[in-house]
Amino acid sequence: VQNRDLTFDGGTSSIDAVQRALYRMSDRLSGDIRQADGGEIECTLVALGDEPIGDDLVFEFRNEVLDEVLRARIREETQEVRNLVLAVAFSKSGLIDTGEG
Amino acid sequence: MSKFRAADRFAASGSDWEMLPFRFHRTNGKVLLTNMVGEHLFISSDELERLCSGQLPKDGPLVRRLRAKHVIRQPEDAAALELLSLKVRTRYRRLPSFTSLHMFVVTLRCEHSCPYCQVSRQSSDQDRYDMSWETAQRALDLTFRSPSPQIKIEFQGGEPLLNFPLVTAVVEEAERRNLTEERDLMFVIASNLALLDDEILDFCGQHNVYISTSLDGPRDLHNKNRPRPGRNSWELATAGIRRVREVLGRDRVAALMTTTKASLDRPKDIIDTYVEHEFPEIFLRPLSPYGFAVKTKSFSAYDTDRWLSFYRTGLDYILELNHQGVDLCERYAAIMLKKILTNDDPGYVDLMSPAGIGIAALAYNYDGDVYASDEGRMLAEVNDHTFRLGNVHANSYEEIMLSDALLEPLEASFALSAPMCTDCAYEPYCGADPVYHHATTGDFVGRKPLSGFCRRNMAIAQMLLDRFENDSAARPILLDWASR
Repeated sequence: VQNRDLTFDGGTSSIDAVQRALYRMSDRLSGDIRQADGGEIECTLVALGDEPIGDDLVFEFRNEVLDEVLRARIREETQEVRNLVLAVAFSKSGLIDTGEG
Repeated sequence: MSKFRAADRFAASGSDWEMLPFRFHRTNGKVLLTNMVGEHLFISSDELERLCSGQLPKDGPLVRRLRAKHVIRQPEDAAALELLSLKVRTRYRRLPSFTSLHMFVVTLRCEHSCPYCQVSRQSSDQDRYDMSWETAQRALDLTFRSPSPQIKIEFQGGEPLLNFPLVTAVVEEAERRNLTEERDLMFVIASNLALLDDEILDFCGQHNVYISTSLDGPRDLHNKNRPRPGRNSWELATAGIRRVREVLGRDRVAALMTTTKASLDRPKDIIDTYVEHEFPEIFLRPLSPYGFAVKTKSFSAYDTDRWLSFYRTGLDYILELNHQGVDLCERYAAIMLKKILTNDDPGYVDLMSPAGIGIAALAYNYDGDVYASDEGRMLAEVNDHTFRLGNVHANSYEEIMLSDALLEPLEASFALSAPMCTDCAYEPYCGADPVYHHATTGDFVGRKPLSGFCRRNMAIAQMLLDRFENDSAARPILLDWASR
């Protein structure tokens, strides 16, 4: 069997995080992701080569999803300040067309 | 009254820390954190967990390190944001004054027949493959439209010395125009030096022209890589290097090497050749996946991992030589170290985001076609005209610089919005290379987990950070390279 089915808690993970993790490992894996009626995220991992998907690869994928959840939290919490820093940085650069003059 | 405020004046007022934007990457049991401008530190997984879950103490070594690297701040601490903004602006300072490098392909003719060469022609038909004076004048019109205060005109080919009369005419005309333009004007001839003579050297001396040549390593390797009638490319190149130094000065000639399959087992021999010829730096370059290199299967001859092994051996050897007192810098490492260890961006075309195409360089082909980069014109040689921005005779500067052929790849490949790059801790050290990804995958972004560009740059950044953090003897050498 080449495929492995995994389930993630929809309350602590997100489809976006699972998608990003799958993309990050797309040199070795492909897969399908769907949200179940109960909110869980179901993911079918598909091997790209002839070798079946081992436990190590599943473990790595699960950890990658956890990291993507962390990255999402960092993005969300710092988005405002990131935009502020960029706005201040470029405000006097002449690179932003203000429509004046 | 003391001139200095007490230390507790600068201490945190509470444990109410706020995260600033940062990215992380797990490597060798540690976690690399980089902030918005690429300042870095390594922490443990446990410390990352505490940072992201808001469980940092009021003070302590970790908090001080995170605060110093602009990874956290206290909500009322406006200075942190102002400093970070200043550093971001410093990093992007080159953007408003774009396009300093203008490449004039004065001929495609060449007496060498290097299998990895993208563009050269074995032809005596001057009319067909030489740039005309009319085309050169139009290219100069466009060159001086660039807002950059620095203008470097680089003569390329083929072998540009085969059309030396045009080189002299362009130099003299550019100098004439510069009397009113007042730019910081520089000229470089990229030549194999086989045709160098006293007349050419006299002209270069009078007009402060620099020489860039090819030196692929020891005699047998160089002559195998770069065949010409007489099989004496290495002899002519090294004699030319000596002659340029004698007549013009030591700093007036630089050399570049190209890695071929035959080079991969010989990094030390190649480096020794550069030391023997007293070059202060070497650029260990990968083979480009463009033009004839792909057509002749040279590019598929080895993969990124084999090249990385070559690079690692070379870097280790160069550092070893430095420990022995030999002053030799590896140029790619120096470029990336500047991005890792300073807030400056050296503006190297391949490691810029927005990409360097058009912004850092423009290439004027012999027939007047304008390309977003030298690699763009190489692709055109295998009938891929994706990066052709226009023609000097048919299009205005505005039409060329605002063309979809330039703006679309710039926008699509911008690393801060590219999948995976946007979350990559190495992004501040890397760049966007839409030409590479177009050539290898057919789109401007590419799939990063499969990208040789991504793999190569992440691996080199990891190598350099590892040596910088864990090798106290290498650290001052790497710091010195970053400052060059």
